[in-house]
Amino acid sequence: MTPAAKRDSDLGPTGLAAILGLLAVWEILGRLDVSLFLPPVSEVFVAWWGLIRDGTLFQAGASSLAALVKGYLLAAVLGVGVGLAMGRFAVVRYLLDGWINALMSAPLSALVPVLIALFGIRDTVVVATVFLFAFFVIAVNTLTGVRGTERSLVEMGRAFGAGEATLFRRIYLPSALPAVMLGLRLGVVQAVKGMVVGEMLISLVGLGERIISYGNTFLVTELYAVILSVLLVAIICSQLVQACERALVRWK
Amino acid sequence: MAALAASAAAAPPAPVGIGIEGVHKSFGAVHALVDINIGVRAGEFLALIGPSGCGKTTLLKSIAGLIPIDSGRITVGERVVTGPGPECSVVFQDFALMPWATVQHNVEFGLLLRGVPAKERAETARRAIAKVGLGGSFEYAYPSQLSGGMQQRVGLARALAVNPQVLLMDEPFASIDEQTRRVFQDDLLRLWSAERKTVVLVTHSMEEAIYLSDRVVVLSPRPGRVHQVLDVPLPRPRESGDVRATADFARMVDGLWQVLRKLQ
Repeated sequence: MTPAAKRDSDLGPTGLAAILGLLAVWEILGRLDVSLFLPPVSEVFVAWWGLIRDGTLFQAGASSLAALVKGYLLAAVLGVGVGLAMGRFAVVRYLLDGWINALMSAPLSALVPVLIALFGIRDTVVVATVFLFAFFVIAVNTLTGVRGTERSLVEMGRAFGAGEATLFRRIYLPSALPAVMLGLRLGVVQAVKGMVVGEMLISLVGLGERIISYGNTFLVTELYAVILSVLLVAIICSQLVQACERALVRWK
Repeated sequence: MAALAASAAAAPPAPVGIGIEGVHKSFGAVHALVDINIGVRAGEFLALIGPSGCGKTTLLKSIAGLIPIDSGRITVGERVVTGPGPECSVVFQDFALMPWATVQHNVEFGLLLRGVPAKERAETARRAIAKVGLGGSFEYAYPSQLSGGMQQRVGLARALAVNPQVLLMDEPFASIDEQTRRVFQDDLLRLWSAERKTVVLVTHSMEEAIYLSDRVVVLSPRPGRVHQVLDVPLPRPRESGDVRATADFARMVDGLWQVLRKLQ
Protein backbone atom coordinates (compact mmCIF):
# COMPACT_ATOMS: atom_id res chain seq x y z
CA MET A 1 0.00 0.00 0.00
CA THR A 2 1.26 3.45 -0.83
CA PRO A 3 1.10 6.23 1.75
CA ALA A 4 -1.69 7.80 -0.31
CA ALA A 5 -3.74 4.62 -0.07
CA LYS A 6 -3.21 4.52 3.67
CA ARG A 7 -4.76 7.93 4.07
CA ASP A 8 -7.63 7.22 1.70
CA SER A 9 -10.34 7.42 4.31
CA ASP A 10 -8.91 10.43 6.10
CA LEU A 11 -11.19 13.41 5.94
CA GLY A 12 -9.19 16.26 4.46
CA PRO A 13 -10.50 19.81 3.90
CA THR A 14 -11.71 18.79 0.43
CA GLY A 15 -13.60 15.81 1.80
CA LEU A 16 -15.19 17.93 4.48
CA ALA A 17 -16.23 20.52 1.90
CA ALA A 18 -17.77 17.78 -0.25
CA ILE A 19 -19.86 16.50 2.66
CA LEU A 20 -21.01 19.97 3.69
CA GLY A 21 -21.83 20.77 0.06
CA LEU A 22 -23.91 17.62 -0.26
CA LEU A 23 -25.79 18.44 2.94
CA ALA A 24 -26.46 21.96 1.63
CA VAL A 25 -27.84 20.64 -1.67
CA TRP A 26 -29.96 18.15 0.25
CA GLU A 27 -31.35 20.94 2.44
CA ILE A 28 -32.18 23.15 -0.57
CA LEU A 29 -33.86 20.33 -2.49
CA GLY A 30 -35.76 19.39 0.65
CA ARG A 31 -37.05 22.92 1.10
CA LEU A 32 -38.08 23.06 -2.59
CA ASP A 33 -40.38 20.14 -1.76
CA VAL A 34 -39.13 17.98 -4.64
CA SER A 35 -40.43 14.74 -3.18
CA LEU A 36 -42.03 13.30 -0.09
CA PHE A 37 -38.95 11.10 0.23
CA LEU A 38 -36.57 14.05 0.33
CA PRO A 39 -37.28 16.02 3.50
CA PRO A 40 -34.86 18.86 4.40
CA VAL A 41 -31.82 17.48 6.14
CA SER A 42 -32.39 19.80 9.09
CA GLU A 43 -35.67 18.01 9.81
CA VAL A 44 -33.83 14.68 9.62
CA PHE A 45 -31.47 15.90 12.31
CA VAL A 46 -34.42 17.03 14.45
CA ALA A 47 -35.98 13.56 14.08
CA TRP A 48 -32.61 12.01 14.88
CA TRP A 49 -32.39 14.00 18.09
CA GLY A 50 -35.91 12.87 18.95
CA LEU A 51 -35.01 9.21 18.44
CA ILE A 52 -31.97 9.66 20.63
CA ARG A 53 -33.98 11.38 23.40
CA ASP A 54 -36.79 8.86 23.57
CA GLY A 55 -34.29 5.98 23.66
CA THR A 56 -35.48 4.31 20.44
CA LEU A 57 -32.11 4.56 18.79
CA PHE A 58 -30.22 3.18 21.79
CA GLN A 59 -32.58 0.29 22.24
CA ALA A 60 -32.47 -0.70 18.58
CA GLY A 61 -28.79 0.15 18.32
CA ALA A 62 -27.80 -1.97 21.31
CA SER A 63 -29.38 -5.06 19.81
CA SER A 64 -27.79 -4.35 16.43
CA LEU A 65 -24.33 -3.66 17.84
CA ALA A 66 -24.38 -6.81 19.97
CA ALA A 67 -25.04 -8.91 16.88
CA LEU A 68 -22.49 -6.92 14.89
CA VAL A 69 -19.71 -7.39 17.43
CA LYS A 70 -20.39 -11.11 17.92
CA GLY A 71 -20.65 -11.86 14.21
CA TYR A 72 -17.65 -9.75 13.28
CA LEU A 73 -15.35 -11.16 15.96
CA LEU A 74 -16.29 -14.66 14.90
CA ALA A 75 -15.64 -13.77 11.26
CA ALA A 76 -12.33 -12.12 12.15
CA VAL A 77 -11.01 -15.08 14.15
CA LEU A 78 -12.21 -17.77 11.74
CA GLY A 79 -11.48 -15.71 8.62
CA VAL A 80 -7.89 -15.01 9.60
CA GLY A 81 -7.46 -18.61 10.80
CA VAL A 82 -8.85 -20.17 7.63
CA GLY A 83 -6.92 -17.69 5.45
CA LEU A 84 -3.63 -18.50 7.19
CA ALA A 85 -4.26 -22.24 6.96
CA MET A 86 -5.12 -21.93 3.27
CA GLY A 87 -2.05 -19.82 2.68
CA ARG A 88 0.36 -22.25 4.31
CA PHE A 89 -1.14 -25.66 3.54
CA ALA A 90 -1.83 -26.55 -0.07
CA VAL A 91 -4.24 -29.28 1.02
CA VAL A 92 -6.44 -26.82 2.87
CA ARG A 93 -6.25 -24.45 -0.08
CA TYR A 94 -7.35 -27.10 -2.57
CA LEU A 95 -10.17 -28.16 -0.26
CA LEU A 96 -11.60 -24.72 0.40
CA ASP A 97 -10.65 -22.54 -2.58
CA GLY A 98 -13.68 -23.47 -4.69
CA TRP A 99 -16.10 -23.03 -1.83
CA ILE A 100 -14.70 -19.70 -0.74
CA ASN A 101 -14.70 -18.31 -4.26
CA ALA A 102 -18.21 -19.55 -4.99
CA LEU A 103 -19.66 -18.21 -1.74
CA MET A 104 -17.73 -14.96 -2.01
CA SER A 105 -19.28 -14.10 -5.36
CA ALA A 106 -22.72 -15.49 -4.50
CA PRO A 107 -25.39 -12.96 -3.54
CA LEU A 108 -25.54 -13.79 0.15
CA SER A 109 -29.08 -12.45 0.49
CA ALA A 110 -30.10 -15.50 -1.54
CA LEU A 111 -29.10 -17.59 1.46
CA VAL A 112 -31.80 -15.97 3.59
CA PRO A 113 -34.23 -18.93 3.38
CA VAL A 114 -31.43 -21.31 4.29
CA LEU A 115 -30.47 -19.18 7.27
CA ILE A 116 -34.08 -19.04 8.44
CA ALA A 117 -34.22 -22.82 8.25
CA LEU A 118 -30.95 -23.11 10.18
CA PHE A 119 -31.33 -20.45 12.84
CA GLY A 120 -35.01 -19.62 12.84
CA ILE A 121 -35.79 -15.92 13.08
CA ARG A 122 -34.15 -15.36 16.43
CA ASP A 123 -31.43 -12.79 17.08
CA THR A 124 -28.73 -15.34 16.32
CA VAL A 125 -29.62 -15.22 12.66
CA VAL A 126 -28.31 -11.64 12.56
CA VAL A 127 -25.02 -12.84 14.02
CA ALA A 128 -24.99 -15.43 11.23
CA THR A 129 -25.58 -12.87 8.46
CA VAL A 130 -22.94 -10.55 9.90
CA PHE A 131 -20.52 -13.48 9.97
CA LEU A 132 -21.30 -14.56 6.41
CA PHE A 133 -20.93 -11.07 4.99
CA ALA A 134 -17.60 -10.43 6.73
CA PHE A 135 -15.93 -13.86 6.71
CA PHE A 136 -15.02 -14.26 3.05
CA VAL A 137 -13.33 -10.95 2.45
CA ILE A 138 -11.25 -11.46 5.62
CA ALA A 139 -10.29 -15.02 4.69
CA VAL A 140 -9.45 -14.16 1.08
CA ASN A 141 -7.36 -11.12 2.03
CA THR A 142 -5.44 -13.14 4.62
CA LEU A 143 -4.83 -15.86 2.04
CA THR A 144 -3.62 -13.27 -0.48
CA GLY A 145 -1.32 -11.78 2.14
CA VAL A 146 0.30 -15.10 3.01
CA ARG A 147 0.64 -16.07 -0.66
CA GLY A 148 2.13 -12.69 -1.44
CA THR A 149 5.10 -13.21 0.87
CA GLU A 150 8.32 -12.38 -0.99
CA ARG A 151 10.11 -15.55 -2.04
CA SER A 152 13.48 -14.02 -1.26
CA LEU A 153 12.39 -13.34 2.34
CA VAL A 154 11.49 -17.01 2.73
CA GLU A 155 14.85 -17.98 1.23
CA MET A 156 16.60 -15.55 3.55
CA GLY A 157 14.90 -17.13 6.56
CA ARG A 158 15.77 -20.63 5.38
CA ALA A 159 19.37 -19.58 4.73
CA PHE A 160 19.61 -18.62 8.41
CA GLY A 161 18.28 -22.04 9.36
CA ALA A 162 14.60 -21.28 9.98
CA GLY A 163 12.24 -24.28 10.01
CA GLU A 164 8.62 -24.17 8.88
CA ALA A 165 7.22 -22.97 12.22
CA THR A 166 9.79 -20.18 12.51
CA LEU A 167 9.25 -19.14 8.90
CA PHE A 168 5.53 -18.94 9.54
CA ARG A 169 5.89 -16.85 12.66
CA ARG A 170 8.78 -14.61 11.59
CA ILE A 171 8.23 -14.23 7.84
CA TYR A 172 4.78 -15.25 6.59
CA LEU A 173 2.77 -13.77 9.45
CA PRO A 174 4.29 -10.27 9.57
CA SER A 175 4.42 -10.24 5.79
CA ALA A 176 0.68 -10.95 5.58
CA LEU A 177 -0.25 -8.47 8.30
CA PRO A 178 -1.03 -5.46 6.05
CA ALA A 179 -3.31 -7.59 3.86
CA VAL A 180 -4.94 -9.13 6.95
CA MET A 181 -5.65 -5.68 8.36
CA LEU A 182 -7.06 -4.54 5.02
CA GLY A 183 -9.32 -7.59 5.05
CA LEU A 184 -10.47 -6.78 8.56
CA ARG A 185 -11.25 -3.21 7.53
CA LEU A 186 -13.20 -4.26 4.43
CA GLY A 187 -14.78 -6.98 6.55
CA VAL A 188 -16.19 -4.63 9.14
CA VAL A 189 -18.02 -2.64 6.47
CA GLN A 190 -19.39 -5.90 5.07
CA ALA A 191 -20.40 -6.84 8.61
CA VAL A 192 -22.57 -3.73 8.93
CA LYS A 193 -24.23 -4.64 5.62
CA GLY A 194 -24.82 -8.15 6.93
CA MET A 195 -26.33 -6.73 10.10
CA VAL A 196 -28.85 -4.60 8.22
CA VAL A 197 -29.72 -7.39 5.76
CA GLY A 198 -30.26 -9.84 8.61
CA GLU A 199 -32.39 -7.43 10.57
CA MET A 200 -34.46 -6.25 7.62
CA LEU A 201 -34.98 -9.47 5.70
CA ILE A 202 -35.15 -12.07 8.44
CA SER A 203 -35.38 -11.22 12.02
CA LEU A 204 -36.95 -7.75 12.21
CA VAL A 205 -34.96 -6.52 15.18
CA GLY A 206 -32.64 -3.62 15.87
CA LEU A 207 -31.93 -0.78 13.46
CA GLY A 208 -33.04 -2.87 10.45
CA GLU A 209 -36.46 -3.34 11.99
CA ARG A 210 -36.70 0.44 12.52
CA ILE A 211 -35.86 1.05 8.86
CA ILE A 212 -38.64 -1.30 7.71
CA SER A 213 -41.10 0.12 10.19
CA TYR A 214 -40.46 3.79 9.39
CA GLY A 215 -40.38 2.99 5.67
CA ASN A 216 -43.77 1.27 5.80
CA THR A 217 -45.37 4.09 7.75
CA PHE A 218 -43.82 6.90 5.68
CA LEU A 219 -42.02 8.43 8.66
CA VAL A 220 -39.40 9.61 6.22
CA THR A 221 -37.36 11.87 8.51
CA GLU A 222 -37.05 9.07 11.10
CA LEU A 223 -36.20 6.65 8.29
CA TYR A 224 -33.29 8.85 7.20
CA ALA A 225 -32.18 9.31 10.79
CA VAL A 226 -31.85 5.55 11.22
CA ILE A 227 -30.11 5.14 7.85
CA LEU A 228 -27.63 7.85 8.85
CA SER A 229 -27.10 6.05 12.17
CA VAL A 230 -26.23 2.85 10.31
CA LEU A 231 -23.84 4.83 8.13
CA LEU A 232 -22.24 6.32 11.22
CA VAL A 233 -21.81 2.85 12.75
CA ALA A 234 -20.08 1.69 9.57
CA ILE A 235 -17.76 4.69 9.51
CA ILE A 236 -16.85 4.44 13.20
CA CYS A 237 -16.18 0.70 12.97
CA SER A 238 -14.04 1.18 9.89
CA GLN A 239 -12.06 3.96 11.59
CA LEU A 240 -11.52 1.80 14.68
CA VAL A 241 -10.10 -1.03 12.59
CA GLN A 242 -7.98 1.44 10.68
CA ALA A 243 -6.57 2.80 13.93
CA CYS A 244 -5.54 -0.76 14.86
CA GLU A 245 -4.07 -1.14 11.38
CA ARG A 246 -1.93 1.96 11.82
CA ALA A 247 -0.75 0.88 15.24
CA LEU A 248 0.25 -2.56 13.93
CA VAL A 249 1.55 -1.69 10.46
CA ARG A 250 3.90 1.12 11.33
CA TRP A 251 6.45 0.50 8.61
CA LYS A 252 4.33 1.60 5.65
CA MET B 1 22.09 -23.60 19.92
CA ALA B 2 24.56 -22.69 22.65
CA ALA B 3 27.52 -23.73 20.53
CA LEU B 4 26.27 -21.65 17.62
CA ALA B 5 25.70 -18.64 19.83
CA ALA B 6 29.21 -18.90 21.19
CA SER B 7 30.80 -19.21 17.75
CA ALA B 8 28.87 -16.19 16.50
CA ALA B 9 30.37 -14.05 19.21
CA ALA B 10 33.93 -15.35 18.90
CA ALA B 11 36.75 -13.83 16.85
CA PRO B 12 36.56 -14.41 13.08
CA PRO B 13 36.95 -18.16 12.54
CA ALA B 14 39.48 -19.33 9.97
CA PRO B 15 37.98 -19.30 6.47
CA VAL B 16 37.02 -22.61 4.89
CA GLY B 17 37.13 -23.81 1.32
CA ILE B 18 34.22 -24.99 -0.80
CA GLY B 19 34.27 -28.15 -2.87
CA ILE B 20 31.92 -28.57 -5.82
CA GLU B 21 32.29 -32.03 -7.33
CA GLY B 22 30.36 -33.39 -10.29
CA VAL B 23 27.25 -31.36 -9.53
CA HIS B 24 24.19 -31.82 -11.71
CA LYS B 25 20.89 -30.02 -11.38
CA SER B 26 17.88 -30.08 -13.66
CA PHE B 27 14.58 -28.22 -13.49
CA GLY B 28 12.27 -30.53 -15.38
CA ALA B 29 13.79 -30.89 -18.84
CA VAL B 30 16.12 -27.92 -18.38
CA HIS B 31 19.69 -28.84 -17.46
CA ALA B 32 20.63 -25.94 -15.21
CA LEU B 33 23.96 -27.37 -14.10
CA VAL B 34 25.92 -30.18 -15.75
CA ASP B 35 29.00 -31.74 -14.17
CA ILE B 36 30.20 -28.68 -12.29
CA ASN B 37 33.61 -29.05 -10.63
CA ILE B 38 35.05 -26.07 -8.80
CA GLY B 39 37.29 -25.85 -5.77
CA VAL B 40 37.07 -22.58 -3.91
CA ARG B 41 40.11 -22.03 -1.69
CA ALA B 42 39.74 -20.90 1.89
CA GLY B 43 39.72 -17.11 1.97
CA GLU B 44 39.42 -16.81 -1.79
CA PHE B 45 37.27 -14.23 -3.57
CA LEU B 46 35.66 -16.08 -6.46
CA ALA B 47 33.31 -14.64 -9.07
CA LEU B 48 30.76 -16.61 -11.09
CA ILE B 49 29.88 -14.98 -14.38
CA GLY B 50 28.05 -16.04 -17.51
CA PRO B 51 25.12 -15.20 -19.77
CA SER B 52 21.66 -15.38 -18.21
CA GLY B 53 20.49 -18.95 -18.00
CA CYS B 54 23.95 -20.31 -17.22
CA GLY B 55 22.87 -21.40 -13.76
CA LYS B 56 25.17 -19.15 -11.75
CA THR B 57 22.49 -18.23 -9.22
CA THR B 58 21.34 -21.86 -9.06
CA LEU B 59 24.91 -22.87 -8.24
CA LEU B 60 25.21 -20.20 -5.54
CA LYS B 61 21.93 -21.25 -3.94
CA SER B 62 23.01 -24.87 -4.08
CA ILE B 63 26.14 -23.96 -2.11
CA ALA B 64 23.88 -22.13 0.35
CA GLY B 65 21.83 -25.32 0.71
CA LEU B 66 18.71 -23.56 -0.56
CA ILE B 67 18.40 -25.62 -3.74
CA PRO B 68 18.95 -29.40 -3.52
CA ILE B 69 21.24 -30.80 -6.23
CA ASP B 70 20.40 -33.91 -8.26
CA SER B 71 23.82 -35.55 -8.04
CA GLY B 72 27.40 -34.78 -7.12
CA ARG B 73 28.63 -33.28 -3.90
CA ILE B 74 29.10 -29.85 -2.40
CA THR B 75 31.20 -29.39 0.71
CA VAL B 76 31.68 -26.28 2.80
CA GLY B 77 34.72 -26.91 4.97
CA GLU B 78 34.15 -30.40 6.37
CA ARG B 79 30.38 -30.30 5.99
CA VAL B 80 28.62 -31.93 3.05
CA VAL B 81 25.84 -29.54 2.08
CA THR B 82 22.37 -31.00 2.46
CA GLY B 83 20.70 -27.81 3.61
CA PRO B 84 21.54 -24.35 4.94
CA GLY B 85 24.45 -24.34 7.39
CA PRO B 86 25.89 -21.93 9.93
CA GLU B 87 29.16 -21.29 7.99
CA CYS B 88 27.39 -19.55 5.13
CA SER B 89 25.63 -16.22 4.88
CA VAL B 90 23.76 -15.14 1.77
CA VAL B 91 23.48 -11.61 0.40
CA PHE B 92 20.50 -11.36 -1.93
CA GLN B 93 20.09 -9.45 -5.16
CA ASP B 94 16.85 -7.81 -3.98
CA PHE B 95 18.28 -7.30 -0.45
CA ALA B 96 15.54 -9.49 1.12
CA LEU B 97 15.05 -7.10 4.01
CA MET B 98 11.97 -7.49 6.17
CA PRO B 99 9.98 -4.29 5.57
CA TRP B 100 8.28 -4.55 8.95
CA ALA B 101 11.54 -4.59 10.90
CA THR B 102 13.96 -1.77 11.62
CA VAL B 103 17.53 -1.91 10.36
CA GLN B 104 18.60 -3.07 13.82
CA HIS B 105 16.08 -5.91 13.87
CA ASN B 106 16.86 -6.94 10.31
CA VAL B 107 20.53 -7.24 11.16
CA GLU B 108 19.71 -9.14 14.36
CA PHE B 109 17.59 -11.66 12.46
CA GLY B 110 20.22 -14.32 11.86
CA LEU B 111 21.39 -14.05 15.46
CA LEU B 112 17.81 -14.33 16.68
CA LEU B 113 17.28 -17.54 14.71
CA ARG B 114 20.47 -18.93 16.19
CA GLY B 115 19.31 -18.31 19.73
CA VAL B 116 21.73 -15.51 20.66
CA PRO B 117 20.44 -13.69 23.78
CA ALA B 118 18.85 -10.27 23.22
CA LYS B 119 21.58 -8.10 24.71
CA GLU B 120 24.43 -9.76 22.86
CA ARG B 121 22.31 -9.79 19.71
CA ALA B 122 21.80 -6.04 19.90
CA GLU B 123 25.49 -5.35 20.45
CA THR B 124 26.68 -7.68 17.69
CA ALA B 125 24.17 -6.20 15.26
CA ARG B 126 25.21 -2.66 16.16
CA ARG B 127 28.85 -3.53 15.46
CA ALA B 128 27.91 -5.08 12.11
CA ILE B 129 25.89 -1.99 11.17
CA ALA B 130 28.87 0.21 12.01
CA LYS B 131 31.14 -2.09 10.01
CA VAL B 132 29.18 -1.50 6.80
CA GLY B 133 29.17 2.25 7.38
CA LEU B 134 25.61 2.78 8.64
CA GLY B 135 26.38 3.13 12.33
CA GLY B 136 24.96 5.75 14.62
CA SER B 137 21.88 7.01 12.83
CA PHE B 138 20.16 4.29 10.84
CA GLU B 139 19.48 1.58 13.43
CA TYR B 140 15.87 2.60 13.95
CA ALA B 141 15.06 3.37 10.31
CA TYR B 142 12.84 1.05 8.30
CA PRO B 143 14.24 -0.35 5.03
CA SER B 144 11.74 1.67 2.97
CA GLN B 145 13.36 4.85 4.31
CA LEU B 146 16.77 3.88 2.91
CA SER B 147 18.24 4.09 -0.59
CA GLY B 148 19.01 0.88 -2.50
CA GLY B 149 22.70 1.09 -1.69
CA MET B 150 22.02 1.55 1.99
CA GLN B 151 19.51 -1.30 1.98
CA GLN B 152 22.14 -3.62 0.56
CA ARG B 153 24.56 -2.44 3.23
CA VAL B 154 21.96 -3.62 5.74
CA GLY B 155 21.81 -6.93 3.85
CA LEU B 156 25.58 -7.23 4.13
CA ALA B 157 25.54 -6.29 7.82
CA ARG B 158 22.95 -8.99 8.46
CA ALA B 159 25.12 -11.52 6.65
CA LEU B 160 28.23 -10.47 8.59
CA ALA B 161 26.48 -10.33 11.98
CA VAL B 162 26.47 -14.13 12.31
CA ASN B 163 30.22 -14.12 11.63
CA PRO B 164 30.14 -16.59 8.75
CA GLN B 165 33.19 -18.20 7.18
CA VAL B 166 31.63 -18.05 3.74
CA LEU B 167 29.83 -15.12 2.15
CA LEU B 168 27.59 -16.03 -0.79
CA MET B 169 26.58 -12.96 -2.78
CA ASP B 170 23.93 -13.14 -5.50
CA GLU B 171 24.37 -10.11 -7.79
CA PRO B 172 24.47 -7.87 -4.73
CA PHE B 173 25.19 -4.66 -6.67
CA ALA B 174 22.90 -5.30 -9.64
CA SER B 175 20.20 -2.86 -8.58
CA ILE B 176 22.49 -0.16 -7.21
CA ASP B 177 23.59 2.88 -9.21
CA GLU B 178 27.13 3.05 -10.56
CA GLN B 179 28.69 5.62 -8.19
CA THR B 180 27.22 3.98 -5.10
CA ARG B 181 28.30 0.61 -6.41
CA ARG B 182 31.97 1.62 -6.75
CA VAL B 183 32.14 2.95 -3.21
CA PHE B 184 30.37 -0.16 -1.95
CA GLN B 185 32.75 -2.45 -3.86
CA ASP B 186 35.74 -0.79 -2.21
CA ASP B 187 34.11 -1.10 1.21
CA LEU B 188 33.45 -4.76 0.51
CA LEU B 189 37.12 -5.35 -0.42
CA ARG B 190 38.23 -3.56 2.74
CA LEU B 191 35.91 -5.73 4.88
CA TRP B 192 37.05 -8.84 3.07
CA SER B 193 40.73 -8.16 3.66
CA ALA B 194 40.04 -7.39 7.33
CA GLU B 195 37.93 -10.49 7.95
CA ARG B 196 39.35 -12.99 5.42
CA LYS B 197 36.15 -14.74 4.50
CA THR B 198 35.67 -17.01 1.54
CA VAL B 199 33.47 -15.11 -0.91
CA VAL B 200 31.52 -16.45 -3.87
CA LEU B 201 30.04 -13.62 -5.91
CA VAL B 202 27.55 -14.03 -8.73
CA THR B 203 27.70 -11.10 -11.10
CA HIS B 204 26.97 -10.14 -14.69
CA SER B 205 29.45 -7.26 -14.64
CA MET B 206 32.85 -8.08 -16.13
CA GLU B 207 34.50 -5.06 -14.49
CA GLU B 208 33.09 -6.07 -11.14
CA ALA B 209 34.29 -9.67 -11.50
CA ILE B 210 37.82 -8.59 -12.41
CA TYR B 211 38.01 -5.76 -9.88
CA LEU B 212 36.91 -7.83 -6.90
CA SER B 213 37.98 -11.41 -7.35
CA ASP B 214 41.00 -13.70 -7.32
CA ARG B 215 39.51 -15.98 -9.93
CA VAL B 216 36.59 -15.72 -12.32
CA VAL B 217 34.62 -18.82 -13.28
CA VAL B 218 32.85 -18.42 -16.62
CA LEU B 219 29.75 -20.58 -16.95
CA SER B 220 28.17 -21.37 -20.32
CA PRO B 221 24.39 -21.46 -20.68
CA ARG B 222 21.94 -24.28 -21.47
CA PRO B 223 23.26 -26.53 -20.14
CA GLY B 224 25.20 -24.70 -17.43
CA ARG B 225 28.82 -25.88 -17.52
CA VAL B 226 32.13 -24.49 -16.38
CA HIS B 227 33.44 -22.94 -19.59
CA GLN B 228 36.69 -21.47 -18.35
CA VAL B 229 38.42 -20.33 -15.17
CA LEU B 230 40.45 -17.13 -15.31
CA ASP B 231 43.03 -16.04 -12.76
CA VAL B 232 43.05 -12.37 -11.82
CA PRO B 233 46.65 -11.62 -10.81
CA LEU B 234 46.04 -7.92 -10.16
CA PRO B 235 47.87 -6.82 -7.00
CA ARG B 236 45.99 -6.18 -3.78
CA PRO B 237 44.87 -4.09 -2.03
CA ARG B 238 42.96 -2.84 -5.05
CA GLU B 239 40.50 -0.64 -3.17
CA SER B 240 42.94 2.13 -2.27
CA GLY B 241 44.65 2.49 -5.63
CA ASP B 242 43.50 3.17 -9.16
CA VAL B 243 43.46 -0.37 -10.44
CA ARG B 244 40.63 0.41 -12.83
CA ALA B 245 42.89 2.89 -14.66
CA THR B 246 45.68 0.38 -15.30
CA ALA B 247 46.37 -1.32 -18.61
CA ASP B 248 46.39 -4.71 -16.85
CA PHE B 249 42.85 -4.16 -15.64
CA ALA B 250 41.63 -3.14 -19.09
CA ARG B 251 43.38 -6.14 -20.65
CA MET B 252 41.80 -8.55 -18.15
CA VAL B 253 38.31 -7.15 -18.66
CA ASP B 254 38.79 -7.40 -22.39
CA GLY B 255 40.08 -10.95 -22.03
CA LEU B 256 36.96 -11.86 -20.10
CA TRP B 257 34.81 -10.21 -22.75
CA GLN B 258 36.54 -12.22 -25.49
CA VAL B 259 35.54 -15.37 -23.61
CA LEU B 260 31.98 -14.22 -22.88
CA ARG B 261 31.15 -12.86 -26.34
CA LYS B 262 31.55 -16.33 -27.85
CA LEU B 263 28.94 -17.60 -25.38
CA GLN B 264 26.25 -15.08 -26.35
